[in-house]
Amino acid sequence: MTRRLPRIGAHRRRSRRGDVIGIAVVALLMLALPLVASSSVINVGVYALIYALAALGLSLLMGLAGQVSLGQAGFFAIGAYTQAVLVTKYEWSGLPASVLAVAVTMTAALLVGLPLLRLRGHYLALATLGFGVIVTVLATESDFLGATSGIFGITKPEMNGRTYNSPTEYYLLLVPVVLLGLWLARNIVESRIGRALGAVNDSEVAAESLGVDTFRLRVQVFVLSAAYASVAGTAFAHWLGVINPNAANFPLSVKFLLMAVLGGVGSVYGAVVGAFAVEGLDDGLRRLIPELLPGAVGEVQLIGFGILLTTIMIFLPGGLHQLWTGARRRMAGDTSAPDPEDEGEARLEPVADDVPLLAREGRPAPGTPLLEVRGLTKRFGGVTAVDDFDLTVAAGEIVALIGPNGAGKTTAFNMISGAVTPTAGEVTMAGTRVEGRKPHVFARAGATRTFQNLQIFASATVLGNVMVGRHLRSRSGMLGAALVLPARREERAVEESARELLDLLGLGEDADRLAVDLPFGRQRLVEIARALALDPDLLLLDEPMAGLSGTERRELARLLRRLRAGGMAIVLVEHDVEAVLALADRVAVLEDGVRIALGTPDEVRHDPAVLAAYLGVEPEDGAATAVAEAGAP
Amino acid sequence: MTDLLQLLFAGLSQGAVYALVAIGFVAIFTVSGVINLAQGEFAALAGLVAISAVGSGLPLLAAVVLAVVSVALVAVIMERLVIFPVKRMTTLVSLILTLGVSTGLKALMLLVYGPNAEGLTPLTPGGFSLGGVSIRYQELWILLIAGVVSLAVYWFYERTLAGKSLRACAEQPVAARLVGISLTKASLLSFLIAGTVGAIAGVLASPIYFTSWESGLTLGLKGFVAATLGGLISVRGAVLGGLLLGVLETLTAGYISTGLRDAVAFLLLIIVLVARPAGIFGRTAEARV
Repeated sequence: MTRRLPRIGAHRRRSRRGDVIGIAVVALLMLALPLVASSSVINVGVYALIYALAALGLSLLMGLAGQVSLGQAGFFAIGAYTQAVLVTKYEWSGLPASVLAVAVTMTAALLVGLPLLRLRGHYLALATLGFGVIVTVLATESDFLGATSGIFGITKPEMNGRTYNSPTEYYLLLVPVVLLGLWLARNIVESRIGRALGAVNDSEVAAESLGVDTFRLRVQVFVLSAAYASVAGTAFAHWLGVINPNAANFPLSVKFLLMAVLGGVGSVYGAVVGAFAVEGLDDGLRRLIPELLPGAVGEVQLIGFGILLTTIMIFLPGGLHQLWTGARRRMAGDTSAPDPEDEGEARLEPVADDVPLLAREGRPAPGTPLLEVRGLTKRFGGVTAVDDFDLTVAAGEIVALIGPNGAGKTTAFNMISGAVTPTAGEVTMAGTRVEGRKPHVFARAGATRTFQNLQIFASATVLGNVMVGRHLRSRSGMLGAALVLPARREERAVEESARELLDLLGLGEDADRLAVDLPFGRQRLVEIARALALDPDLLLLDEPMAGLSGTERRELARLLRRLRAGGMAIVLVEHDVEAVLALADRVAVLEDGVRIALGTPDEVRHDPAVLAAYLGVEPEDGAATAVAEAGAP
Repeated sequence: MTDLLQLLFAGLSQGAVYALVAIGFVAIFTVSGVINLAQGEFAALAGLVAISAVGSGLPLLAAVVLAVVSVALVAVIMERLVIFPVKRMTTLVSLILTLGVSTGLKALMLLVYGPNAEGLTPLTPGGFSLGGVSIRYQELWILLIAGVVSLAVYWFYERTLAGKSLRACAEQPVAARLVGISLTKASLLSFLIAGTVGAIAGVLASPIYFTSWESGLTLGLKGFVAATLGGLISVRGAVLGGLLLGVLETLTAGYISTGLRDAVAFLLLIIVLVARPAGIFGRTAEARV
């Protein structure tokens, strides 16, 4: 049994149909309820639909951004109060009021989210919990909002001369709203934004190196999630007719969380199923417990919530969605299992060595300085990992960074690409100062990297990995994605260019497999393909040869030469000194964080300091020279 | 001046309660990386157990001991039932799990003890006035006992082998296992400490601040803020954070508005986390990639 939470869009291509089926089933069930149920059951259904929207927003936040909010009820209450004030005090009609109510809530979410989303995980959860408490306190303290008794007299909505009075009518009014909410959510999950956020959950540093601005996307999802809560809040205010500080109460936030978790954080429609299940349970327990325990008053149904939350997380972390996909897989005879292992080596098309690859208009002319590193220094406590490192890289050259283990090569890479803040020094990429800023700034300047310890997006397919690399080369935002039509054409173009790139690297056949199912060497190629999808002017490769077979190494070397011929600049850290000396135009040698040599492969090969560093012998020593000569091609 | 002294004193005694709750957060977080959202409920439960024990005729001291022991037991059972079985504990999972326990405990308290807030009998009733500042004996007890308990926990972590192995688990889990320290035992021990300390906070606070099934929520939130002020991994930091938070709250309530009292913790949390993620008293450490 899987112990991890399935993420939204995890098996993107496979689940697309499943999502549509799921939404269709949910829609049918929702519409069937008023035909069979009594009025009191439909009344429960009305609350389920209202809360489903808030739970759906929370599910998006958890599934896409990987963050938990314990203050969803706070946004729910802001939406409800705004609606109530507009309708009762300013006599707005329901629809325009709800538009403003959602806008107000989204603004509040933005203001709260900007500081809060700098925090992660625990801190964010507790800070949102605090936010909910504050909303309750403010509502209770404010006379304008009616203090503890709240705002009364919110009328039932009227449209085209019809008043939505009965539970059935209100229920049927809400069904299309919830379906629309589901549809928009599903589109966002499947979009460029959803893909980027999925990547962030797998490996934040890799996603950022491909140009994904994590913070910005998280704020967007947070605001979106609040928008869903506020729609729920406005519907709640009209149905109940009164709104008081209890709307922001913590138990309500817990209820939303339970709905999202029970339905399955990995699915969009799960939140709706979860909402119906939890509302049913809530209603049942409220009746049952006082019968069993006379004298029980108040929110006693919470005991069911607590037990359910805990048992689901232990035994069924994917929620009801997990049961559903499991059942479907068994019925289908497990067709989604990975193909039989095909451990062959990557087959690059045999092409003459120096045919330029990925050349394009607007690439800097060969010889133009691209990357300038000045005095780069990093100290960890008392250890100086990199000391006063200088390097200039021009378009159309391959520069290698070599040195013994622990020489500071990867640290230098991390500082250049923005993953680590330098203690001192400057890094300029294509005229932009990038040191100490995030990796996505480096990517925006036209440069990206691969990683020594693979940072594959584990929950995505090979194609999905490479499509994340197109993030900066596509534009559709949250709104466009939600509305599908404008974004679909771009999605197709992104998929097409990603497939082309995979074919080029001989990975075409693996495109629809999960990237983690591939052999190690091919995962390295996937990382390189992903980086190339960004179409960078500068590519940093951290030990690209490690784990590759002899043939694969030769193929990779040829690929890099073709990229150079296409005008790309490449910097690589490598242990395979022989391969590097054959490939690079210039070589920089690091030892104990200090650059001890920089020159052509020939110069470096005969440099006394390098020989001493690598072989621990004096240069006059005959043996050392012999070894050095043997390394020559 | 008398006002200020009065507020400062009230703040310190309130802060001492936060400090004890904060120590509970730190104890668990350092070992397993779990933020225990049920930490506040430990305190509330201890208060209610003690109140009902006194109500049924037990002497005060026996009631307090009973409360602390039973809450410590609840914490240990919670670890075995809910934390231990989960192999892959992510932040998301741990938050939802402990939230589930917290919600369940809350509802259980509501079912057993009803919805009303009550106060435990003070250890010593009454108080006195010193230069215009009125002091309740219970407040002195809070400061004294919280101080002794904090020192004991600090001594345990710094001086005893068991305490040192807990710190080792927190700093180098792999290395700790290599030298034969059991992470499961460490996790159990950390819950035992958190339950005990939380329960002590609950019985100390109850006579002055009252206890209800719901009071764990804000108490837990403020304990977390206090722990975060101290960087979440330091007992000393948690104590200082608790005292600071208590004083700032009473000053806000006294000089600005009583209603804003609960907002202070939240604002402080955001300011500190955005400006100094390692806490006010913590050293800034940078993760290596």
